[in-house]
Amino acid sequence: MLIKNWGSILEAKSKFARPVLYLPRRNPTVWIGRAKAEMENATVDLKPHGQDLSGRVHQLPCCVKHDGPASVSHYFKPKHNGVADEGLPLQEAHFRGRLLQGTTLQLPHGYSGFVLAKKTSPPSSKQNSNSWDTKATFQDITYWNHDYVPSHNDELFRAFHWLTVAKALHNPVTPEELASSSFAL
Amino acid sequence: MTSKILPQWASKPCAMGIDEAGRGPVLGPMVYGCLYCAQSYMKTLATLSFADSKTLKEEKREELFETLKTNDSIGWAVDVIDPRELSAKMLKKNKINLNEISHDSAMGLIDRVLKMGVLLSEVYIDTVGDPGKYEMKLSKSFPSIKFVVAKKADSLYPVVSGASIVAKVTRDRALREWVLDETAENMQRNFGSGYPGDPQTKAWLENHKHHVFGFPTLVRFSWGTCNSYFKDIAEVFWESDNLDEDGGGRNNNNGKRQLKLSNVGFTTSKIRSEEIESSGKGRSRFFQARKLEHLTNF
Repeated sequence: MLIKNWGSILEAKSKFARPVLYLPRRNPTVWIGRAKAEMENATVDLKPHGQDLSGRVHQLPCCVKHDGPASVSHYFKPKHNGVADEGLPLQEAHFRGRLLQGTTLQLPHGYSGFVLAKKTSPPSSKQNSNSWDTKATFQDITYWNHDYVPSHNDELFRAFHWLTVAKALHNPVTPEELASSSFAL
Repeated sequence: MTSKILPQWASKPCAMGIDEAGRGPVLGPMVYGCLYCAQSYMKTLATLSFADSKTLKEEKREELFETLKTNDSIGWAVDVIDPRELSAKMLKKNKINLNEISHDSAMGLIDRVLKMGVLLSEVYIDTVGDPGKYEMKLSKSFPSIKFVVAKKADSLYPVVSGASIVAKVTRDRALREWVLDETAENMQRNFGSGYPGDPQTKAWLENHKHHVFGFPTLVRFSWGTCNSYFKDIAEVFWESDNLDEDGGGRNNNNGKRQLKLSNVGFTTSKIRSEEIESSGKGRSRFFQARKLEHLTNF
């Protein structure tokens, strides 16, 4: 599944290393998948053992026109701030003067998030390479809303409904199931 | 922060003055302060040489604040509004302007003092916006109180002058002792007064602007002053601003026209397909509602 949503992926490295913000040029793109995937004219190499960025991937309700590192952990200071009506644990942070309310979403079991970077092709090769490499992986995303409290109705939560639909679409159907469903019709 | 337990005089008709400090500065908190006493004490209060806090030297203000704190015939309270709160409210989708924030703060103080059990009969307050409208708003919320809303109330009424000292000293101390949220190494505390024209404040702003984060959260991002510092930093486009565009192309806080999603380089290289993609046209509603898109080209 490819989630395209508007927002940015912020990432900070470990406490002791220089904190880093990655905003991919083709942001915001999060690839969530389970295997090596091939698309038309593109190869995406999903390696499960990149640097684990769990807890440090943030999706903002804005586009930051910046591509490169930034001192995220020194400036972006989420604070835990109670629990929403639906039982979601809430966080609060400020970015560019705006109040953001967020929550952390665990990726479903069996899925991983990948931070991808385009493989650089040697300058000699004229062919435009469209190969992607795994730079890091993550198991959760903290997403942020401007001006409203996160809920299960938010797009990112709902995007995961697709996994259930996809499973239903792709699971083989047994003759018994077929019989019972045609009976129901 | 409020003074002591309720004294006996508080059950007799009292007068209160309300004034603000730090409304204009581009950084730090805005403080509303009030000072109240029995109406019978007003004449004595006038002899305490409280003048408008702006005409006094800082040391004199500090000294007067310490004296009034020890005066048993006077009560006071403050409301410190965090710059993060100011920025956030003024940059909400439904923006709350500074006048509204100011009114709410003043009314909050009145409410707090009334709830303490002080019998407020008169409140003197410096106007914010139109005095007549402000007075109506106040009288509607507190029908039992007589309001005197005036320009330059801080120099006309000693009880307001007193409130202005409470507010100003609190604001100065808050800024002096401000703990910056940011933990970057090059953070300095020489903010100056915080007024946009103060050379020290200007230098501090210039030295503390950040390409991605703008400024430390001490700064009021909603102030027009910020824009001149933001010219060469990374642009930020907000999802919530974009929704506004249908409403007639309102300006964002950078004072520039909003760009369409498709203009800011989101998706693929083909402009046509970008527009279709970002509007979700032609996609099943299931996917539209979830902002999911089938990508054939990565």
